[in-house]
Amino acid sequence: MTRSIAVAYAVARKDLTSEWRTRELVPALGQFVVLALVIANFGFQIDSQNATVIAPGVLWLALVFAGLVAFGRAFAAEREQASLEAMLLTPASAAAIFAGKAIAAALLLIACEAVLLPALALMFGTPFNAELVAAVLIATVGMAALGCLFAAMVARVRSREVLLPLLTLPLWIPFIVAGGQAVQVAMGASGSYNQAVALLIDFDILFVVLTSLAARFVLDD
Amino acid sequence: MSAIVAHEITQRFGSDVALDAVDFALDEGEHLAVLGDNGAGKTTLLRILATAARPTSGQLAIFGLDAVRERKALRAQIGYVAHAPGLYPALSAAENLEFFCSLHDVDRKRVPEALALVGLSDVARRPAGRLSRGEQQRLAIGRAVLHSPRLLVLDEPDASLDSDGPDLLASVMRGRSVVLATHDHALANRLCQRTVMLSNGRSLGAGTRLRVVR
Amino acid sequence: MTRYTRLVAAAVLLMLVAGALIFFYAPEDFLQKEPQRIFYLHVSAAIAAFACFAVVLGASIAYLRTESLRADRLARAAALVGVVLTTVTLVMGMLYAKPIWGKFWTWDARLTSTLVLWIIYAGYLLLRRLAEPGRQAARFAAVVGIFGFVDVPIVYFSVTWWRTQHPGPVIISDALPPQMLFVFLVTMACTLFLAAVMVAIRYQIETLTDEVPSPVVQLVGTQREPEPAR
Repeated sequence: MTRSIAVAYAVARKDLTSEWRTRELVPALGQFVVLALVIANFGFQIDSQNATVIAPGVLWLALVFAGLVAFGRAFAAEREQASLEAMLLTPASAAAIFAGKAIAAALLLIACEAVLLPALALMFGTPFNAELVAAVLIATVGMAALGCLFAAMVARVRSREVLLPLLTLPLWIPFIVAGGQAVQVAMGASGSYNQAVALLIDFDILFVVLTSLAARFVLDD
Repeated sequence: MSAIVAHEITQRFGSDVALDAVDFALDEGEHLAVLGDNGAGKTTLLRILATAARPTSGQLAIFGLDAVRERKALRAQIGYVAHAPGLYPALSAAENLEFFCSLHDVDRKRVPEALALVGLSDVARRPAGRLSRGEQQRLAIGRAVLHSPRLLVLDEPDASLDSDGPDLLASVMRGRSVVLATHDHALANRLCQRTVMLSNGRSLGAGTRLRVVR
Repeated sequence: MTRYTRLVAAAVLLMLVAGALIFFYAPEDFLQKEPQRIFYLHVSAAIAAFACFAVVLGASIAYLRTESLRADRLARAAALVGVVLTTVTLVMGMLYAKPIWGKFWTWDARLTSTLVLWIIYAGYLLLRRLAEPGRQAARFAAVVGIFGFVDVPIVYFSVTWWRTQHPGPVIISDALPPQMLFVFLVTMACTLFLAAVMVAIRYQIETLTDEVPSPVVQLVGTQREPEPAR
C-alpha cells in the first residue's frame, strides 16, 4: 500500500513538474475559461437580474470543456505512449500510476478553477463564497477520476477528440446535476446545499473506487 | 538455466499476421541477435519478450515463468529499450532516472552509477528534450539497467548511437541475458552468440554465429 | 439457418398476437384515451433494452475475468440490440409525450435516463469500431459497458432528486387495472422473446465475422507484401 502511494506521488510529481517547467496547459486553460465567460455574456444577454440564474450553468459548461482538455492531455501526447509503457514495465501497479496521473490532472484543473471562479464572480457579479469553492472542488475529484480513465482509453484509439466527450460526459452528468444544484444554492437560490454536496461525495467515492479497479484493464494489455 | 523458451509465438493484428509460429531458446547469460529487414516482425517479437505485448498464441517462458500470467513479476527482471526512447523532455536526465527508481523501488544511489555507465554524467542536469538523439538513446539504455535486470531486450539500440556505441553495448550487455534486434550483421556477430533471422514474421532459422559475406 | 427462420417467425407471430391484444382487447384508458396504447410497447421495449444491457454487463465482467471470446461476442450482440430497442423506446416515448403533455420532450427522470442510456451505448458501439480490433476493443468496450450500466441508475436517481428541488411535470401513475396489466405482461414477454431472438441472430453473425480472417491468411500465406516497420 505504501508502495502504491509512493508510486502515485512520484507520478503526480513528475507530471506537475513537467507542466510547471513547460507551462503549456494551465495558461491556455485559464485563457479558455475567460473567453468562455465572454461568449456567455453575449450569448445569454446577462444582466444583474438573471446573472445568478445563468451563472451556474456557465460555470459548469466552462468547467466541462476545460476538464475534457485537461484530462485528455494527461494521456494524449504521443510521447506519453512510449513513456506510459515504460512505466508499466516496472513493478509499479497500473492503479497507482493511474492515481498519480489523475491527481496531477485534477490539480491542474483546480489551478484553472482558481481563474474561473473569481473571474465569474468578477464579470457576472455573482457571490463568491466557501460553499461555491467547496462544491466545485469536491466535484472535481470524481470528474478527474472518470475523465482520466476514459482519456487513457481513447489515447490509443482513432478519433479520440470525438470519443472522449462522448464516453465521459454521460458519466459526468450526475456530478453536474448535483454540482449544479450546489452552486445554485451557493449563489443564493433555494434548495438543499448539504444534500447536493453529500451526493457529490458519494459519487466521488463510488467512481474513485470503480476507476481504480478498472485502471489496470485500460492501461495495461 | 534457461532464460527464454519461445514456442510457436504468433501475433495477429486483425487479419494481419505479424509473427508466425516463431521458436527459439536462450540460455542465461547468452546474447541473442534478432535479424531481419524492416517489417519482418523484430519489434513485434521484442515487445512480446519485454512483456509489453501479449502474443495471440504460443508459449513463452522467461526464467521459467509464464510470460503472460507472471508478467508483473517478470517485469522487475527485464529491462527494455524500445524504438522510441519514451523519456520526459522537461525533466533532466538524472530526474528521468530518479523517477524510474521510484517506480522500481530502487535506491536513488543507482542513478549516478547508471549515468556513468552510459557516459552521461556530464549532462545529468540537462533536460532530456535538449539531449542529442544519441544521448537520449544512451539515457534510455541507462534507464533499462537501473534495476539490474537479468534480461535486457534492446530494439535496434545501435541505430542512433555513435561510433562508440558497440563498446557501450558490450559493457552494458556483459553478464546478462540479452535479446538484441538489429540490421547490422557485423554487430550481431561481435556481440551475440546466437541468432534468429526473421522474414515476413517467419523464423528462417535459429543458429549460432551467422557469417554473412557482403 | 432454418432454425433461426423458425425463431424469427415465432417472434413475429408473438408480436402480432401482442399487437392484437393491445388494440382489440385492452380497454381504452379513461384519461389518456387512445395514445395510451403506445405505453405497452414503449415500456416493454425499455425493459427489453435494459435486459440487453444487463447481458452486456454480465458478459463484460465475464470477459474481463476470463478473456472469453464468446463473452465478448455476446456483449457485442446484446449491445447492438439494446441500442436498437432504446431507440424504439425513445421514439415511442416522444410520440407518447406529445398528445399527453403537449410537447415531444420533457426533462423528467425516465426520459433523461433513457437518452443518457442511448448515448452511452452508442458510444460503446463507436468505441468498438474505432479501437484496435481484438483484445483492445473488447477490453475497452467491457469497461465502458460496466461503467455505463452503473451510470444509468445513478443518472436516474440524480434527476429524480433534482426534481424534488425543482418540481416538474408529474409522471402518469403506473397503477394498472387487471385487463391492462395482462396485456402489458403479454406484450413484455413477447418483446423479451423478440429481443432474445435478435441477440441470438446477431451473436451468430458476430461468430461468423470473427472466423473470417483465418482462411484468408492460409490462402495468401507467403506471397504477402512486405509490411512497413512496426
